[in-house]
Amino acid sequence: MADRPLAGVRVLDFTWVLAGPVATRILAALGAEVIKIERKFEGFLLTTVQTGITNDLNRDKLSISINMQKPEGIALAHRLAKISDIVIDNFSARVMRQWQMDYESLVKIKPDIVCVSMSGFGHTGPHTHYVSFGPTLQALTGYTLMMADKEGRPAGFSYSYSDSAGGFTGALAAMLALWNRRRTGKGQFVDFAQFEGLISLIGPALLDIAINGRKPQPPKWRSQEGPAAPHGVYRCQAEASDDDRWVAISVRSADEWERFVKAIGTPAWAFEPRFRTLYSRMSNHEELDGLISKWTADKSCDQVMGILQRAGVAAGIVANAQDSCERDPHMRERGYFPQVAMPDGSTMQLSGMPFKLSATPPAVRNGAHEVGSDADYVLGELLGLSSTEREEMARAGVIWL
Amino acid sequence: MEPGALDGLRVLDLADQRGALCGRLLADMGADVIKVEPPGGDPARRIGPFLDDEPHLDRSLFFWFYNLNKRSVTLDYRRDAGLELLLRMAGSADVIIESFKPGTLEELGAGWEKLHRLNPALILCSITPFGQYGPYRDYAADDTVLTALSGMLYTCGYPKEAPVRPWGLQAYHCAAYYAAIALIGALFARERDGTGQRVDVSIQEANAAGIEHVAGNFFGARVIPGRYGSMHWARGFRVGKCKDGWILHCLAGDWTTLIEWVKADGKAEDLVDPKWGERPYQRANVEHVFDVLDKWVADYRADELLARAQELRLPYGVAQWPDKLLEDEHLAARGYFTDVEHPELQRTFRYPGAPYLFGRTPWRVYRRPPLLGEHTAEVLGTDLGLGAQELATLKYEEVI
Repeated sequence: MADRPLAGVRVLDFTWVLAGPVATRILAALGAEVIKIERKFEGFLLTTVQTGITNDLNRDKLSISINMQKPEGIALAHRLAKISDIVIDNFSARVMRQWQMDYESLVKIKPDIVCVSMSGFGHTGPHTHYVSFGPTLQALTGYTLMMADKEGRPAGFSYSYSDSAGGFTGALAAMLALWNRRRTGKGQFVDFAQFEGLISLIGPALLDIAINGRKPQPPKWRSQEGPAAPHGVYRCQAEASDDDRWVAISVRSADEWERFVKAIGTPAWAFEPRFRTLYSRMSNHEELDGLISKWTADKSCDQVMGILQRAGVAAGIVANAQDSCERDPHMRERGYFPQVAMPDGSTMQLSGMPFKLSATPPAVRNGAHEVGSDADYVLGELLGLSSTEREEMARAGVIWL
Repeated sequence: MEPGALDGLRVLDLADQRGALCGRLLADMGADVIKVEPPGGDPARRIGPFLDDEPHLDRSLFFWFYNLNKRSVTLDYRRDAGLELLLRMAGSADVIIESFKPGTLEELGAGWEKLHRLNPALILCSITPFGQYGPYRDYAADDTVLTALSGMLYTCGYPKEAPVRPWGLQAYHCAAYYAAIALIGALFARERDGTGQRVDVSIQEANAAGIEHVAGNFFGARVIPGRYGSMHWARGFRVGKCKDGWILHCLAGDWTTLIEWVKADGKAEDLVDPKWGERPYQRANVEHVFDVLDKWVADYRADELLARAQELRLPYGVAQWPDKLLEDEHLAARGYFTDVEHPELQRTFRYPGAPYLFGRTPWRVYRRPPLLGEHTAEVLGTDLGLGAQELATLKYEEVI
């Protein structure tokens, strides 16, 4: 099989927690050699996180452990930067500067280096030193309040979408800078503020606010992709003891409405004037939703999805973890959750890459390596440090083996 | 100033709203992205909101957002004469982005085999709800249904209640970024042998990749993450109401620092007990922690609280309405919002700007979103070399 797209690209990866590791796992899947620099005792936030997430984030990366508080640690990191193509981090702006791992320092060592910084707030501006996590950014950008429930209580995402989004945005920034370097031979610094990345994903609603002066109001179940009715989630029959079963349905054109009505058994109410046009269906959506919920209530969500999809109507179960990871026949056939090998010889399933490349497919192969377990290859083979030298460095607290 | 990072890249964008952001991301970095629209225009032009709420093909803010920096050609590629022009354009393009139902390009007479023979270097990037193969391939879906099938929707909202729909078309947005990443990957691969390849992006999977915790929890511990209202699944964050709005509590900073502050305000109640500083105990009973903290923040103004918290390096945030972003001093200092001139309207509009600041090859506004077919003559005439007579005939025949 042909080499993967980023074969031969070496990534020096200072990222931690979530957004950064999501970015570098994409580069790893595309064939880059990712060397993750970790502290031996990361502890902190990820102590509550199961090994599943650690493996999902840090698969296919090499791990070494360097003490960046020591000048010798910094010198070692500089030697690695010299043989790397890109250095990437998701600290706030000051950290890489403190370690002399910022672009200005590194460009002196490696003139064509690409540096991608994925901080919360970027390297300039009055809030550059703000500390933030994904939920902080989601709150500041408006997602949290705009995602309100029926009663208007803010919910937002129950997770750090900001980190997943920061991950793919950071990866795209890295790809763009690496591609330009391939074409021009020149590196550069990319200041990616995740705050701004997240704002860039709001979409047309922000133009409506900025240009039309629209007062922001939670859209709730009003369609954000052109008029639709029915449009929403409908409770389905409980399965075993689980009554949290729902199906999402979207109907737009007159044609779709006709097919929908036929699929649900041509009930008389569907022909009442209050549901005749898209506009009237939208105006009377509460009554409409109530009637549809009666139809879905005694059917399983799979059944509802099947009936509607056979009629060409957009419908899908509101999938929980088990639905997606285990039951979804489609993602299974596409191999979205591949089995990977773990360092202890066992196997585990992880999430894959959401794209196929016909000639040079991405690959997800191995779980996360133990912290510091690739010292032999990285420090020995790549930097030429003998095992005695490495042991001395470990004794001096410069690295952890 | 140096050219954009993708300077010289030629992209034909046949995608509707499902894939339009991908071309936009490339165009922002200097690629020449030509939006090829059917005669009635891209369906996205009919989707609101509209400028001043006046529906018009050239006034859709929805279209504007996804198509800034692109050129527009109208072409009836369902007819032979139009198809021929499309194939000629494909002959000199690097990338085609499309979001048709799988099989449509073949039906049109522009399937992968044919395109590949015609231009072996071409990369064909398909962005569709479920990708090009698999049992759901031909299923109908919009962004809403895709957030349901990806698992995103299930995790948003309050327990036992109906899930809350994510804000923005995030399934499409995830897919656009992953598609852009994948096709730049294909550009790297093409450097080796000059051959293009097919990129198959499933929006369902891309949206699933936009969920941090579901796969890891399930495969690692057989846990099915639920909905927790405004609380984060790892139980370190929750929204609270303050004097003039909402803030976001955060327990991921230093606990002692936080509690000393709350104590100094006389609001710490039983949280002064050291057992609350022990993470397992704290997280197991975290509702109580947030309930106490809710009472504490009730007398604060959001901006006061944020400033003090950040001084203490506690990652507290304000949960604010998005119109506040327009007056955000940090964004202003960084020049995030960008003015885009629309000369035909004699107006200038503020657009959200660069998701990332490139030091040497910056994100840029090259041109406002195109009017329907604005560049048809320019692209077919100048780029393909069609004469005025030929263009006039094609127009008469309603091919362009």
